Amino acid sequence: MGHGYQAIKWYPFKRGYDGWIAAFVAVFIAVFLVGLYAFAPPGQFYSPVQALMRATGSCAFACLTIVLCIGPLARLHSVFLPILFNRRHLGVATFLIALTHAGLVLFWYHYGGVVSPALSLLTSNTAYDRLAGFPFETLGALALIWLFVMAATSHDFWNSNLGPGLWKALHMGVYGVYALIIGHVALGALQRETAPAFLAMVLSSLGLVSGLHLLTALVSRRAQQASADEIDWIDAGPALDIPENRARIIQPISGERIAVFRYAGKISAISNVCRHQGGPLGEGRVIDGCVTCPWHGFQYRPEDGQSPPPFTEKVATYRVRLDARRHVLIDPTPLPPGTATAPALIQEIPA
Amino acid sequence: MRAAEAILTAFGIYGAIGLIFAAFFVAWGASRLDEAAHGMPLQVRLILIPGAAALWPYLAWRQIRGEGPPVQ
Repeated sequence: MGHGYQAIKWYPFKRGYDGWIAAFVAVFIAVFLVGLYAFAPPGQFYSPVQALMRATGSCAFACLTIVLCIGPLARLHSVFLPILFNRRHLGVATFLIALTHAGLVLFWYHYGGVVSPALSLLTSNTAYDRLAGFPFETLGALALIWLFVMAATSHDFWNSNLGPGLWKALHMGVYGVYALIIGHVALGALQRETAPAFLAMVLSSLGLVSGLHLLTALVSRRAQQASADEIDWIDAGPALDIPENRARIIQPISGERIAVFRYAGKISAISNVCRHQGGPLGEGRVIDGCVTCPWHGFQYRPEDGQSPPPFTEKVATYRVRLDARRHVLIDPTPLPPGTATAPALIQEIPA
Repeated sequence: MRAAEAILTAFGIYGAIGLIFAAFFVAWGASRLDEAAHGMPLQVRLILIPGAAALWPYLAWRQIRGEGPPVQ
């Protein structure tokens, strides 16, 4: 946590995750190449470089789609939490695949001329004033630059030294990247490729990303409305409905979400926002007595919101109590980060 | 053509300054900014080079002002 820096903190889960990424990329590219040659329309020929160019471009697009779907999926159901963890490696992989795609494009279409490949890319087509024949390569280049910025600042050092606000703002640019790539594909590949698989891939991606984000927003709004009838204390529902060592996330009318944890016969509430990268603590678990962020494993004691020594991170805590119906009541006013507050004891529920 | 050349030249200058700055930053600047960066292994310093080269104006401004990590 706020203690020294390592290049990559490897452990078995992370190695497995990266193994799945590598396997996905290899299988995707292999299947794409086989499909491209097997189902190429009559008269359409692809050189190996052109085929690889399309395969890497499509693979980067697929990886970016997955990156964008992971967040909403994990909010909708905890079964997706394992893929949320270590998402940044998938982001870096996306950049590297997109870089390979760009390298192949520069090599095939722009290398060996009288001007440099980069200048050739910018000047070979300048029809920015019309959609038909629009220089879609520029959109791809802009997306690649931003993917680079995100990949280059994905290390913990940058999160600590840019601060969560600036870091998050930089990385929310992933939605701009997605829009640029949709434009790049729609004005480029989709204008040339007649195979319906290309259009199907783009439409599936758009439908999946927008549909999941809309669904998550709806579910979140419903949860917000459910807590809108709060007066002072928020009713967070029956204590025993919260799974052991897990949390229920509550959205107060104003302020950050609150994660209400049940553990060892007790109930405590802390801010849902991890101090590391703003990860959703309420989607994590209590491990070794500490709330553990599902993103990068930062830990906080549920009773006081402090990271165990020697770490120094702190999150806000909230007062909790149980009512006669065995419901958890939360005072929505956050206590200063690291403030100890008594957990509600489930055994002592009033009769 | 001229506009494209100007953009690429500006990009090249930005990147060249960024790389020079990044070399100094990962060698000395990072630990001035963040105590936890003292004694970072070489691999971490190498990983930080692209980010330092990309964000050098912001980091240079922070170095000049002698600021530590942002309060979180």
